[in-house]
Amino acid sequence: MPEGAGGSVGRWRRKLLDLLGRNLSVVVLALLCLISSVATWREQNPITSRSGGAVARQVLEACPAPCAVLVVARDTEADRLFARAIEEGLDGSGVRIAGRVFGQPRDVRLELERLAMVGGSLDAIATHRIASEWGPVRSARARVFSPGSYHWPTFLTARNLLNVVNQNADIAIIALGMTLVILTAGIDLSVGSLLALAGVITAVAAQEWFGGVAASPAGLLAAMLLGVTAAALGGLLSGTMVTAFRVPPFVATLGLMMLARGLALILAVGHQRRLVGGGAEGTPEAVRVDAAAFAWLGNGSVLGVPNPIVLMLVLFVAAHLLMTRTMFGRYVYAVGGNVEAARLSGVPVTAVLLAVYCLCGAFAGLAGIVDASRFEGGRPNAGELYELQVIAAVVVGGASLAGGRGRIAGTLIGAMIIAVIQNGLNIAGVASYEQKVVFGALILAAVLLDRLQPRLRRFRRKPL
Amino acid sequence: MKRALTWMLAAMSFAVLGACGGGTDGGDSSGSVARGTIGFSAMTLKNPFFKIIADTMTAEAERHGFEVVVTDAERDVNRQSQQVDNFLASGVAAIVLNPVDRIAIGPAVRRANEAGVPVFTSDLQAVAEGVEIAGHVGTDNYQGGLLAGEAMIEALGEAGGDVLVLHFKQANSCVLRVDGFRHAIGEYNRDRTEGRIEIVAELEGGGLRDEGYRAMADGIQAYPDLAGVFAINDPSALGARTALEQAGRADQVRIVGFDGEIAGRQAIREGKIYADPIQYPDRMGIMTVQNIVRYLDGEDFERVHLIPTELYRQADAERDPTLD
Repeated sequence: MPEGAGGSVGRWRRKLLDLLGRNLSVVVLALLCLISSVATWREQNPITSRSGGAVARQVLEACPAPCAVLVVARDTEADRLFARAIEEGLDGSGVRIAGRVFGQPRDVRLELERLAMVGGSLDAIATHRIASEWGPVRSARARVFSPGSYHWPTFLTARNLLNVVNQNADIAIIALGMTLVILTAGIDLSVGSLLALAGVITAVAAQEWFGGVAASPAGLLAAMLLGVTAAALGGLLSGTMVTAFRVPPFVATLGLMMLARGLALILAVGHQRRLVGGGAEGTPEAVRVDAAAFAWLGNGSVLGVPNPIVLMLVLFVAAHLLMTRTMFGRYVYAVGGNVEAARLSGVPVTAVLLAVYCLCGAFAGLAGIVDASRFEGGRPNAGELYELQVIAAVVVGGASLAGGRGRIAGTLIGAMIIAVIQNGLNIAGVASYEQKVVFGALILAAVLLDRLQPRLRRFRRKPL
Repeated sequence: MKRALTWMLAAMSFAVLGACGGGTDGGDSSGSVARGTIGFSAMTLKNPFFKIIADTMTAEAERHGFEVVVTDAERDVNRQSQQVDNFLASGVAAIVLNPVDRIAIGPAVRRANEAGVPVFTSDLQAVAEGVEIAGHVGTDNYQGGLLAGEAMIEALGEAGGDVLVLHFKQANSCVLRVDGFRHAIGEYNRDRTEGRIEIVAELEGGGLRDEGYRAMADGIQAYPDLAGVFAINDPSALGARTALEQAGRADQVRIVGFDGEIAGRQAIREGKIYADPIQYPDRMGIMTVQNIVRYLDGEDFERVHLIPTELYRQADAERDPTLD
């Protein structure tokens, strides 16, 4: 191999290749972000107080006093800030505010009709780019002022980046638990169903036992705890099958997957039937949770960061510490590396496996209450095919399906790689069928890489 | 050999990125559309009914200077609400949904409301609390159910008999159809002791061909005296027909479907399905776009518009120019 031949250049290149190889998933993620940014390079029209001020300056320049201006904005928070900035910018300049509209195109039409009726003059309309396309604004006999736009990747907007992580926070949370299972050379197919079961149990409990609309935060918390506990027990069940009866994890969790899905559907339909007063069969719709506070976990935010992301980060740190700083973490790696060796060196293999499956179930349960909160109800159909997405995240994150190798941080990056691909394809408007092909290829590539690694390492040891 | 590894990584990245890049070319041309983009999240594009809505919407929107981005929710409300979020992030002028779950889609619609982007529904309505739907165009499903009941009464004649319903309860539109159907049959049975029509069971046909087939195969075993089947859409009606043919009962059991999609109308012409109340997904797509244009032009329009169905029998199929 010629790489060593060129002296320092070769060494640098080797170092670079080494670094790339070790942090492959980070590199892939960065590349994907770059591609997504390029692919979503679009015109941006922000609605902020800054762009409002810019519109005010335009008006002052092109239509000085005594100019009559109509301010048009929608009835949203950002629009109101934008409109206030326009008015502040025009304040004291002698430009007259003829009217204000906070609403829909129809409201603009009505306001224009009113102005025409009272005979007031109108010289200009100050608004944002979106409303400048509205029919009544375009056909009004007045000059329209709106802020200039600029180009920037839609992918790299704060709103979109938060979307990307938020939409996949549940997958990432379950993937943490799945990493533990895969580290022990196991697999858990039941996570999607456990997610649904936890959500439905939480919703039914909140509605029927903890007061429905009037449920207190403590009651809701108790309902959530119930949901997570049920999912953890489900995990314990598969753990027992795997340890006590030597059932292959694939089969044990496949059984639980169907069982839990069925239970979730039965519970949901039963609840709907009680709602309509028995008799007719209920429908497998979401079990609605009426208590308003319930939506906070899934839809609220802390300092502008959506709660599911906060929860995901907290759990990530906890799982990372668990796997790198505790005895338990070392046991998990030991069991995955070589069960017999672990047993002989005194690792409580059965207890470790039970704990791992139980934790995986609990993580799925947590994702379930996030889902239920996000949709303000427990959905018996939630989480279908999640197991595959989750396993994909773990594998792409570099964990070996043969056990013993993989990191929590890798899993988080794996989940984000999948999230970024999905989002990039989504905002670029690619149909879901093509997305499936991309994901399939990605998983195959990741597994192939995993398979080839021991062979590569063997080659590396030979003198080149 | 390290180099081989790196090459593989590079190849893998490019495979993935290439796939992304290839897809994005189509999406990028959207920037130049005159009046903006409409985001559409369809219930499932596997059912031709929703595909027709998507296609007619796209064509009609183009006439008005809009572009439509069509996405497939694949019957998953989680996916649908993500699609709504993506529409909001990319700044569409309006959003159109076939709500997958009429309640659970609520939070996503609320986010669109908060962002000031109007949401329109077609075919299925959303009933979540505290959300604002700018306009709805759908089928009058209850009226359609009544017509289906009339067709069944006509098909069975004076003899009456046992009837099975192949349901899809998850969709409220189908619940309304079955309500209408039950009402029509109930009216017919009133004051009647001979030749009554009895609805013996509602089985879950999933609104799909394979599930309809399985449900019907079970139904034949459980209810040997069946005289008729009402399937809430064409795919499940066709699935039922296959099951009946396999059981050698196709001549004794009459099928009433719903939708009037092309495969269904074909089957009606061949006498495999007795009749369909037909829906007009093309009109739904066109009217939805027209409502969006009216909304953006500040004009008034009917907030909820229900298109009545019409009964379509073998005689209609023989005159139908769209069937060859």
